Amino acid sequence: MANKNKKLQSLSMSGFVKSVAARLGAVNKSSDAPVPDLLSYPENRLAEELHPHVQFLTVKDVIEHSPDMKSYLLAPDKKRGTAALAWFSAGQYLVLSLPVDGKTVSRPYSIASSPRDTLHGVYQITVKRVEGGVASGWILDNWKPGTAVTASAPLGDFTYEPLRDAKTVIGIAGGSGITPFRAFARAIAQGDEDFNLVLLYGSRAKKDAVFSDEIASLAESCGKIKLVNVLSASKAKDCEHGFITADLIRKYAPQDAPYSVFLCGPQAMYRFVDKEIETLSLRRKFVRHELFGEYFHPEQNDDYPQDGKAVYTVTVHIAGVTHTVSCPADTSLLRAMEAAGLNPPSDCRSGRCGWCHSQLLQGDVYVPESVDGRRMADKIYGYIHPCCTFPLSDCEIDVPPMPYV
Amino acid sequence: MNQYDVIVVGAGNGGLVAAATVAKAGYRTLLLEKHNIPGGCATSFVRGRFEFEPSLHELCFEGSREDQASASGLFRSLGADVPLYLEDTLFRVIAKGPDGYDVTLQAGMEAFLDSMEEAVPGCRGSVKAFFDLIDPIDDAMNAMGDGLPNPVNLLRKHSDFIRIAGHSTEEVMNALGVPQKAQDLINTYWGYLGVPTDDLNALHYLSMVTAYIKGRPSMPYHRSHELSLALVKALQDAGGEIRYNSEVTRFLYDGQNAVCGVIAGGEALWAKKVISNIIPNNVFNRSDNRHISKRSRKLANARKLGMTFVTIYLGLDCTMEELGVNDYSLFILRDRNPRRQFDLRADRSIYIVNCLNKALPDATPPGTCTLFFTIPIMPGDLPKDLSPQNYKAYKNQMAETYIRDYEETMGVSVLPHIEEISVATPVTFARYLSTPRGAIYGYANEGWDNIIARSVTEAMDYDTPNLYFCGGHYIRGDGYPSGYMTGDMAAKAVIAALKKEGK
Repeated sequence: MANKNKKLQSLSMSGFVKSVAARLGAVNKSSDAPVPDLLSYPENRLAEELHPHVQFLTVKDVIEHSPDMKSYLLAPDKKRGTAALAWFSAGQYLVLSLPVDGKTVSRPYSIASSPRDTLHGVYQITVKRVEGGVASGWILDNWKPGTAVTASAPLGDFTYEPLRDAKTVIGIAGGSGITPFRAFARAIAQGDEDFNLVLLYGSRAKKDAVFSDEIASLAESCGKIKLVNVLSASKAKDCEHGFITADLIRKYAPQDAPYSVFLCGPQAMYRFVDKEIETLSLRRKFVRHELFGEYFHPEQNDDYPQDGKAVYTVTVHIAGVTHTVSCPADTSLLRAMEAAGLNPPSDCRSGRCGWCHSQLLQGDVYVPESVDGRRMADKIYGYIHPCCTFPLSDCEIDVPPMPYV
Repeated sequence: MNQYDVIVVGAGNGGLVAAATVAKAGYRTLLLEKHNIPGGCATSFVRGRFEFEPSLHELCFEGSREDQASASGLFRSLGADVPLYLEDTLFRVIAKGPDGYDVTLQAGMEAFLDSMEEAVPGCRGSVKAFFDLIDPIDDAMNAMGDGLPNPVNLLRKHSDFIRIAGHSTEEVMNALGVPQKAQDLINTYWGYLGVPTDDLNALHYLSMVTAYIKGRPSMPYHRSHELSLALVKALQDAGGEIRYNSEVTRFLYDGQNAVCGVIAGGEALWAKKVISNIIPNNVFNRSDNRHISKRSRKLANARKLGMTFVTIYLGLDCTMEELGVNDYSLFILRDRNPRRQFDLRADRSIYIVNCLNKALPDATPPGTCTLFFTIPIMPGDLPKDLSPQNYKAYKNQMAETYIRDYEETMGVSVLPHIEEISVATPVTFARYLSTPRGAIYGYANEGWDNIIARSVTEAMDYDTPNLYFCGGHYIRGDGYPSGYMTGDMAAKAVIAALKKEGK
């Protein structure tokens, strides 16, 4: 037994009993009403307003830019329980769940409207037909005013962060990659973002440059916005001609101040412009990319170990139910599951967000390094992001179910 | 198919250990988690080329004595083997103001006492006497085993324990004549328990700080996510099942008001015993009120929600050497006194800055480093006019205020190097943890709700048949080890009950 400390004797021995008595007393005189609902607390309510589990929307209006490109105005569907649209940061996207041919397909779309537009009950997304694409064609062919749409909360980190980014952003947009920049421009004009946006907008011809006139008129009334159309296949007055090069960036960048570069466009644009940006020796913090998009042709990478022609069998466990799907080596596990009619979780489809996080129970897989956004411990314990994981053998995986709504 | 021996609700630290332990004992076990990854607070998130630790400062992994139950012992017994880095330094503390100080305290009891003596000459004897009190505490705890011993015996043989357990940390320090500056230094850690040391139970604080000093602060090499995945593996190796994206929306009861199952993912799942890692308030909110006893409701309504945080995660494009930072764990205080730190908490009176690269040089890619700011606040401290529209501006304003204060205090330049930034507030924690008001520590360990009083009335407080609790809201208070240990306690209680019923 330990030695007694004499100095402790000055402390009473009744404190112990008193604190228990105080506890019993406090509980006794308390209310026996049901405990408060979580949403009665402001922190929980704000969390729910910013990040609802699901948003039920309805197509309010359709704007046709061309037969293969339309904008959709989406409003909250009060009948299905969405009273208001979640606020967001310009640059974020929604993930839409689409019932294509009896299967659920989900795809991310940048929000082209501004955060302030949500107060008027509107999200705008703009859809361009992708050759061979499943979702874009289905939306263009099926959506009309009144169509019910199921969407996620706003997601993504392609946002302007004042403590991180330079005061001037060179925006580089290619094709439908203009959509988040339309949100940025409107948010700046409406006072919800505070930075200078110099937008280098690459299109084939002026007539393809959707939103160009609209952004140009925002630029006229707001000194923080500048638009430069960069036309690759034609020439026009007040437009640059050719591709977006390091020289062009230098020409429009501030001369004596740091600047950030934000890129959003097709993968071919990233491949070209990234090489140009490299020659500018910008610090990494000043170069931000929107989602890369789905990864195709892993077999073309130098470190890919097979010929990519095999077809493997993947055993998939979802919430205790087992499925078997076939997966060609050059197809992501996510696409194979979707093709088989399963409904696995996916948001960014670019390896970054982690929403498809799953457990690899057996088998070998290939994950392209450039899109491997896993946590370190995931690699140790055998977890994968199926959206950018390709089978190298028959595999067995455990995939979380979609949350029940 | 939907019948289990045990369903565990929530894969936080407590839930993971509870599920792995009952599965290892051979029971058919299902662990339900509302997120798509395990861990609750014990997780990580990736931004750009950085993987951030969201909550762990340092793990108090070893107990204060080898023969005592400890988190490391639990991990070993479950076969969850996670390599840990052990830190030599306890922390550095900079207290500003006319009677301020800048002191670094070392881990390991002798080194700690040496560093205390250097900072406050002459304090060694009284400080040692304070930490020696862990012996009578351990003796009494060991004697108690599974329950309170005969009160006469407790009073006669364990009077020191009774005296310590009935007083605040500062009362006990005063009785031992610990000099004020030495008290303030030792009490730096109060923020990790959320209650200033003039109220915080002496036994509680002493146990925790002693374990840190003797066991040394430790951390996993790959963020807390590694600890959580190791426990998932232990569960699966033992034949148990974890199901993600499966929020429990309803608790089910039989005719005797005993829990008999839950609804998760729209599906009814049945079990003989249910262990809840989620806070009682949320269980009651998802139960038909007539099954919840009057006393349970009274207790939940009487309790005060504990501490929460604003946290700032920074990925910087320079090394810690280039930045001029050389401490893993730094406390910055505007005032030496814990109570005043608490009272002025939302205005830079206390915050902690961790530089993980000091402990784990490879924690971030070459040429970079990470800083993690922790600002303790209480539920209700957020601005009243916070809205979706001004929330981001609030986060940025908080971040800038604290980063500038840190820059000024340390004479370093952080803002120009920010490559990645993420700011979490009680709203963030409300989103991810679903706790009332984003409370992280469950209920405040203050006044009558200190852990001693909680332990004494445990059986009375948790009176729903077949329902067991674990986690920071349970009797041992917050912290990773408490979560793990209460998970173990719940599992052992469930195993004992199932064995008894099986006979």
